[in-house]
Amino acid sequence: MTSAVTGRVGTPSPRRSKLRLRNTVIGWSFILPNFLGFALITLIPVVQLFFISLTDQNIFGKGDFVGIANFQKLMGDPLFQRSFVNTLYFAVLHVPLTIVVSLGLALLLNSKLRGVAFFRTAAFFPYITSIVAVGLVWNLLFSPEYGPINEVLRFFGVADPPGWLLSQDWAMPAIVIISTWRDMGYYMILFLAGLQTVSPELYEAARMDGANVFQRFWNVTLPGIRPTMFLVTVLLTIASFKIFDLIIVLSPGGTAAPNMATVVLSQFIYQRGFIESKFGYASSAAVVLFVLCIVTTVIQFLINKKRSA
Amino acid sequence: MSATRMIVLPHGTRADRDTRPAARVGRVVGSILLVAFALALLTPFFWMVMSSFKGPNEVFSVPVRWLPEVWHVDNYFALWIDTDMAIWLRNTIILSTVVTFLQVLTGSFAAYGFAKVRFPGRDVLFLLYLGTIAVPWQSYMIPQYVMMAQFKLTNTLVAMIVLQAFGAFGVFLMKQFFETIPEELSEAARLDGLGEYSIWARIMLPLAVPALGALALITFVNTWNDYLGPLLYLRDKSIWTVQLGLKNFVANNVTADYSMLFTGLTISVIPIAIIFLLGQRFFVEGIATSGLKG
Amino acid sequence: MKRKLVVAVGIAAVASLALAACSGDSTPEESTGPVTLTLSGWSLDTTPEFQVLADGFEAATGNKIELKEYDAAEYNTLLTADLSAGAGPDIITQKEVKYVPVLVDSDQLVDVSDVKIPDGVSGASSYEVDGAQYAVPYRQDSWVLFYNKALFDEAGVDYPDGSWTWDDFDAAAKALTTADHFGVYEHRWQSTTQGFANAQWDGDIFSGDYDYMSELYERRIAREDAGYEMDFAESSANSPSYQGEFGKQNAAMLPMGSWFVATLISQQASGEADDFEWGIAPIPQRDSSTIDNPVTFGDPTGFGINAAIDDAKLEAAKEFLAYSMSEDAASALASIGITPSNTSEAVAAAYFAVDGAPSDDLSKFTWSTHDTYPENPTSAQTAEVQTVLGTMHNEILTRAKTVDQAIKDAAAAFGAL
Repeated sequence: MTSAVTGRVGTPSPRRSKLRLRNTVIGWSFILPNFLGFALITLIPVVQLFFISLTDQNIFGKGDFVGIANFQKLMGDPLFQRSFVNTLYFAVLHVPLTIVVSLGLALLLNSKLRGVAFFRTAAFFPYITSIVAVGLVWNLLFSPEYGPINEVLRFFGVADPPGWLLSQDWAMPAIVIISTWRDMGYYMILFLAGLQTVSPELYEAARMDGANVFQRFWNVTLPGIRPTMFLVTVLLTIASFKIFDLIIVLSPGGTAAPNMATVVLSQFIYQRGFIESKFGYASSAAVVLFVLCIVTTVIQFLINKKRSA
Repeated sequence: MSATRMIVLPHGTRADRDTRPAARVGRVVGSILLVAFALALLTPFFWMVMSSFKGPNEVFSVPVRWLPEVWHVDNYFALWIDTDMAIWLRNTIILSTVVTFLQVLTGSFAAYGFAKVRFPGRDVLFLLYLGTIAVPWQSYMIPQYVMMAQFKLTNTLVAMIVLQAFGAFGVFLMKQFFETIPEELSEAARLDGLGEYSIWARIMLPLAVPALGALALITFVNTWNDYLGPLLYLRDKSIWTVQLGLKNFVANNVTADYSMLFTGLTISVIPIAIIFLLGQRFFVEGIATSGLKG
Repeated sequence: MKRKLVVAVGIAAVASLALAACSGDSTPEESTGPVTLTLSGWSLDTTPEFQVLADGFEAATGNKIELKEYDAAEYNTLLTADLSAGAGPDIITQKEVKYVPVLVDSDQLVDVSDVKIPDGVSGASSYEVDGAQYAVPYRQDSWVLFYNKALFDEAGVDYPDGSWTWDDFDAAAKALTTADHFGVYEHRWQSTTQGFANAQWDGDIFSGDYDYMSELYERRIAREDAGYEMDFAESSANSPSYQGEFGKQNAAMLPMGSWFVATLISQQASGEADDFEWGIAPIPQRDSSTIDNPVTFGDPTGFGINAAIDDAKLEAAKEFLAYSMSEDAASALASIGITPSNTSEAVAAAYFAVDGAPSDDLSKFTWSTHDTYPENPTSAQTAEVQTVLGTMHNEILTRAKTVDQAIKDAAAAFGAL
């Protein structure tokens, strides 16, 4: 962290502790307006969720305390195992791909050339296009027999193109492609905002030193957007772990692709909680998802701290 | 060449243009690539717009048909005449604007506390914020709804506002951005006798225009497009949003009339597209134009 | 300051007096006067049945029904939220049978075993939990075979005569297929295959042994492979609507629930569907032994009473439940194209009097004579087992597994529940 009002580490003294108190008051006064709304509306029900995960409540809140039985049951639930693995698989493919594509897009569109406004808008369009239309169109595009994508593949000599969303092995990669397509405009905006904080003088200086394009990207751009990179990585990882809508609209017939190849954690939670009304059990899966997100976030937090130190 | 220069020279202007032939070829190829890319990006949107002009049973066909057989422009008139579109638009604009304003204001305010003031428990508190993003809304929406019912807030626009205005997203985004602003600036301001609140208002906010723009746009769009939240909370037709009204109209119109659905979706996207087109320049302005180069 | 307080107290006193006067007036009549009941419905503009029942009930008893509209797709979620918040309707429409056990289990429904169910009403058993009745059916759709008479004529195939088995169906699918259209369209839902297997093969989804479903799956795969019907895979990729596939004459036959009768009539009237002659026939049978009372499946739609209802309204609510199954109510529903739970002859006459309805004898027989099994048994475990069977359905029809393998894996998944 490059930030601090004052109060560097040192021996405690009355003056310092007074300063600390002052900082605490000031810090909280900034945070409070948002925190009040946040705590009341979001935090309370989320904390409640942790208690519910220790019960066998149904959706109407009827049920008893069962301790960690739900978590034990989760471990042996094949659907849960499947959705856990699939969620990780999706995130591992989706996070790096989306970062590369959206950062590339942001770099490309970070200029004031004529027409760039159109391309920026175009890049954001997938994000604002209705998810229903997105699902329907990509199903058409990926259609194994008549879909344009496989027609192109056949044209280029691929004799037996994949069945995409209907195939056990290709369904998840297809969803990763679609998801990246949909999200890149969103993260591009964040990267664009971040790129504005990199001072042009630094590029000039690097150029004077004879640094080439990649050296400048590596030594000027990347360090300059580190906070944005952290923001994007964390948000993207959490969003990937939580993927839901897209899977629903892309899964043929509303259920999973063959062999549960695309079942993910949020879907598991929805299925068990709402369709089967096992709310306590579903909550325990939500807690697992929460822990998964927190652990990866803390790891990213520590890496980020180490790098910027 | 030009494309690569754009990469490393974000503030490249037309004056910088390389006029060597190789560069010109590169630029043409770059433009073609961009156009091809844009087409790929817009295909589903294009299909949606085309489908909005199709007849009811014509939307799905094997193989894919991209253009309507007969152009049903009447879909658009029918939607305007048969629905309360004006009311839905008004509600959605009110909702999106208020939510965006509150999110940007409280989010950037709290972000200053997280980024620039050091106090015990700060990082843990911040992690708590992030943690709630990690919980899928479905898993706590019913308890939350019961709580909101106790506050007598269900079936009001206020419910949607408080639900969406105090998210962790804005805090996180602004915090990360504030951290890139050199500490020396604040120090100098403090020496000039500015308090923390003035530093936030007079130094940080003007410098953070790109981030504020990104936050405002994303919040606006998310509020505009939200469906499940309004569905749960807004039951009176007089407070419906565009998304809610459209889905209901389609469900009520005729069985599975997808062309009408896409007519509505196309209409609902237009305001966002315009706002984006007008607002996108803010992402690349800010420090460069504010004259406060770091 | 003091004066203000006095004024305030004075106002409060007057107000409370006025309130007392009002309530005093109405107290004696509260139990006997007309009451207003709230009732949950969905898509009210296109689902007029709720208003028809409300009007009929008001005319018959003087009690009013106020409709509360819910989103059709998220009906259960929204209703759950309202019930949890104590803001549910007095009368809860049961859109899907599988949610009844959950509501009963959570003490959300009143035991209505004392409401008399008239003879000739079908579907009531779907709402029985542990021997008690928790809702009553007003509507009972069942699955039938829609067929396009024009396409049959064109292909020179005889219309169904009410004696069809699945062999006849397969043969007709073959004969009806041309370059322009398929012989049959089957929608993507798991019930399109499993519902008939459960009903005609006496299947028990809680046995864990799903071998009884293999015949119908084998037949469907054979038809798909031969090109007599659209591949499940292609259907999934293109999401065609069954209304469009049959209405636009892309398929000559369509197994579907009887609710489609009303839709098809209105779509033909509005021009959304092509104008052609059609009829309904009993769904093909496992063998000819059941052709006199064809076995099919379908779930009822019904009404239950919110356990949190005011005591003063409870009797009126039960009256409404009884009314919804009466011949009067059934005839009113039939005349707007709804298949009521009560299908007496008078009701059938009202149903087929609708403009655009088929008029042949087989259609009438099909509509009024059938042995309809519930789509799924009413049990707290149903939803879970359906998840397993949904996966199986997908695996078989996307050819990810052989029928036998998928059935075996479903049995294993059932065992793990």
